[in-house]
Amino acid sequence: MKPRRTARFFLYAVLPVIAIVSFLVVYPTIRGVIMSFQNYNLYNLRNVHFVGLENYKAIFTDSRFYEDLWNTVLWIAGSVSLQFVLGFILALLMWKPFKGRGIYAGLVFYPWALSGFAIGLVWSWLMNGTFGVINDILLRFHIVKYPIHFLSDPKWAMWSVILINVWYGIPFFAIMILAALQSVPSSVVEAAMIDGASAARRLFQIVIPYIKPTLLSTLLLRVIWVMNFPDIIYGTTRGGPAGATETLSVYMINIVFYENDYSKAATVGVIILSILIAYAIIYMKTTSYEELEL
Amino acid sequence: MRRKWISLIRYLLLGVYLVFALFPLVWIFLTSIKSPMEVYSFPVKYLPSKPTFQNYQKLFSYAHFGKYFKNSLAVAGVSALASTIMASLAGYALARFKNRWVFPIVLLLFFVQMIPAYLIMIPQYVMFSKLGMLDKLISVMLIYSGIGSAFSTIMARGFIARIPIELEEAAMIDGCTRLCSLFRVTFPLVLPGLSAVFSFSFVNSWNEIFVASLFLNSDDKMTVPVALYSFISKAGVNWGFLSAGLVIALLPTIIVFAFAQRYIVEGLTKGAMKY
Amino acid sequence: MKKLIAFLLIVLSVFLLAKTTLTVVEVFTSPERDAILKNIIEQFEEQNPGVKINLISPPYETAYQKIYTMISNKQPVDIVEVGDWSLSTLAAMGGLENLEPYIANWDGAKYMLPNLLEFARIYKGKAYLIPNAVYAKTLFIRKDVLKKYGIERAPKTVFELYGMASYLTDPRRGQYGYDFRGKGYPTDFIDLFVTSFFDDIDPNNMYLTKDGKLIWSDPRAKYGLELYVKIFKDTAPKDAVNWGFSEQINSFVSGIAPLLYQDPDTLGILKSNLPDNLFETDPLPVGPYGKAYPHYGFSGWGIVSYSKHKDLAWKFIEFFNSPKVLSYWCKNYGVLPPDKRVYENDPYFKSDKYKGWIEMFNDPEHYQFTKQPIWSEAWGKWTELQERTMQEVLLGKKSVDQVLREWSEFWEKAGLK
Repeated sequence: MKPRRTARFFLYAVLPVIAIVSFLVVYPTIRGVIMSFQNYNLYNLRNVHFVGLENYKAIFTDSRFYEDLWNTVLWIAGSVSLQFVLGFILALLMWKPFKGRGIYAGLVFYPWALSGFAIGLVWSWLMNGTFGVINDILLRFHIVKYPIHFLSDPKWAMWSVILINVWYGIPFFAIMILAALQSVPSSVVEAAMIDGASAARRLFQIVIPYIKPTLLSTLLLRVIWVMNFPDIIYGTTRGGPAGATETLSVYMINIVFYENDYSKAATVGVIILSILIAYAIIYMKTTSYEELEL
Repeated sequence: MRRKWISLIRYLLLGVYLVFALFPLVWIFLTSIKSPMEVYSFPVKYLPSKPTFQNYQKLFSYAHFGKYFKNSLAVAGVSALASTIMASLAGYALARFKNRWVFPIVLLLFFVQMIPAYLIMIPQYVMFSKLGMLDKLISVMLIYSGIGSAFSTIMARGFIARIPIELEEAAMIDGCTRLCSLFRVTFPLVLPGLSAVFSFSFVNSWNEIFVASLFLNSDDKMTVPVALYSFISKAGVNWGFLSAGLVIALLPTIIVFAFAQRYIVEGLTKGAMKY
Repeated sequence: MKKLIAFLLIVLSVFLLAKTTLTVVEVFTSPERDAILKNIIEQFEEQNPGVKINLISPPYETAYQKIYTMISNKQPVDIVEVGDWSLSTLAAMGGLENLEPYIANWDGAKYMLPNLLEFARIYKGKAYLIPNAVYAKTLFIRKDVLKKYGIERAPKTVFELYGMASYLTDPRRGQYGYDFRGKGYPTDFIDLFVTSFFDDIDPNNMYLTKDGKLIWSDPRAKYGLELYVKIFKDTAPKDAVNWGFSEQINSFVSGIAPLLYQDPDTLGILKSNLPDNLFETDPLPVGPYGKAYPHYGFSGWGIVSYSKHKDLAWKFIEFFNSPKVLSYWCKNYGVLPPDKRVYENDPYFKSDKYKGWIEMFNDPEHYQFTKQPIWSEAWGKWTELQERTMQEVLLGKKSVDQVLREWSEFWEKAGLK
């Protein structure tokens, strides 16, 4: 194989993706970044100009930003860790074939096929503190004495939206991990079993190291996605009550809807992007390059 | 004895999770076959006293739901197919070649995942408006496959990297060109993985609301999620109607998913191991 | 020569037969309403051969943003539905045509509800839309639920409302009194309670007294807001902090709370969910001075400033606002007709379903209609701030005094005078 032709093959193969991504994502992102330095406000469309760092100053001097940042951390840490652990357990439970496994998978993985908007809507109905069916069941079985105000009590609200997100996200982890588990050579596991290794040891010393790259890159991606996933929160609480569930991505939508200030929303978007880039760099530095399957 | 206990616990846990996962769907379905009066009854009524399919009937007579369904199928199908094809080519190149471009390109693909959709929607709109491409299904397909192709490539690359390179080399020694070995050896092996890539991007495109509701105008171009979204009016949610719509909207994704899951669950890389 | 004439005739006829398309974008999309709207459009198309109307119906929650985006990118649109809350934004963008020249030659103007056109002129004193739907809050009561507790009539004052609602409330039985709104633009509800404690609200600005002072820094606002908080604490489920329109309707229909403040379009939903004889509307309860200050909300069609078919667009608006069409529209959609003739001609609007509004319209001594400062650029931000801080009060994180101070500061900064 001549090197020239190989290089050309590489180019042709990656070009479509690069072209479409640059045109439809990277270029608009640059426009969005530019917008964050302007006063692109609907009341002011005839006089759009650069305002320097004014939008950033407005965001960073508002205590709301820091509250939302904290909410974002809770939202991501809570959702991703629970999705990960429960998804992992589910994948392990499903690893060994059993009768009807295919059908079972079809039934339990469907939440992933729903839209965030629909999920938010349905769950906000289920979780309603007065006529919601979850409270009705809890009351009927005397599990609680008074209905739980899942979405209207600030102490519960964040955990409730996280619970919904966990319900939605378990399948993704389970699918990815299950797929990786299938590639663990059964001979290795069997050999360990014959050697008398305990189940825990087999899991931590053989299985996990084997699928570590999948775990690490899935975690990286999931954190990024969850940060940019306002749908469930928007469909249930819109960031309320009193800002208790407002994450940065919800804040961004609220700015567009209530203030019509597109450049301020773009500013929050750029901040989200910067946080994620920083996170990814740190993540990649602390895990090694090979391990990430990059 | 201990074995038995473990497997009992295993089935118990699987059962608990099944209930947790299915419960909202069951509730949506029950709501969709209730009469309007029963939907709001208090205390909560679990089973409809007289199941009715009028919500489904209304869905197809009131709104042009059949048309929206076709649009959504076309949009999701085409964009998933396009992004899977692009992704398998690029994923192959990025998995098999070792040159200085690979790393930056992979980084770019990860970078794309980080961009908030709301940051780019208005700039995208301005772009498409200048090109005269608004209110066209093809524009929405372009955007979906553009955004989707990045993650699809990351995924496809992972699947291809797991296939031993020796297989291809063997084929090439037998006189096959790179393209030939790609189509004869690699793709057949990675097909289960690619079907997972396809189903992921199908689901994402099928469910997308915000781009579709902003970029498409005419009634005859409306997609299913936008139609469902428009059942939420200033006057709140029409639950009976919406639940029927949600049930219908779930069907294609469930079918695509069930199809892809078979591969995932039954051994994504089993084929490769056999070789 | 003959050939030329023939040619010209052909060109002319092609030109005449070619259909002119009017593109119309609505805001308050819902399946039921779209059916009504399409019906009216068909009638118009029948009367005007050669005109085709292309209706765009974006989902309600994204509709305003979509219209703003379309107009700012000069997408081909001729008529947009304008709600009172989007009016000044769209006008400030330069997206709407000043309709005054058309109104000058339109006899429908005479029959508009008192002051309605004036209210529509909130942006620089010019009308940029013709209202075809009027919204105003009134009191909906569940007659059957109240009767069960031995109550035969609607509360007349806010204190009576509180008394009645707290008498009914018994969480153990799942019975509450007032359908509280905590989320999704609760502004109207808060404002109604607060202003009912005043007797000197500016008819042109609900947030000012007649001598030009902000109501939020007036001691009376505190009594109003305190009662509002008490109503939440004693007569509504705690969950109502997170209640929007759907939940309000849900709990009214299921009878959980029989006292509801709402707009007339609620009638449209109740029609399919609640038997007719179980509810009615009544005038809003008044405050200690015997007054209440409802306000008109309105929506209607506006013409896009860069439209190429402005006269035709006006023709459509004129058709839409003719008494016959309006009566069909308002009856089925469930809004108040903006035109006096409709109330006179159609007995439907005299039924007990409209009692609340009719009595308020006919009683200017107790019910003075006013308007919120929706023309202010700060309005959008205000609704968000008020919702958020009000939730903080309801959850006990802030005091009434604190938020009133915050609200005064907000409006002082926004330059409301």
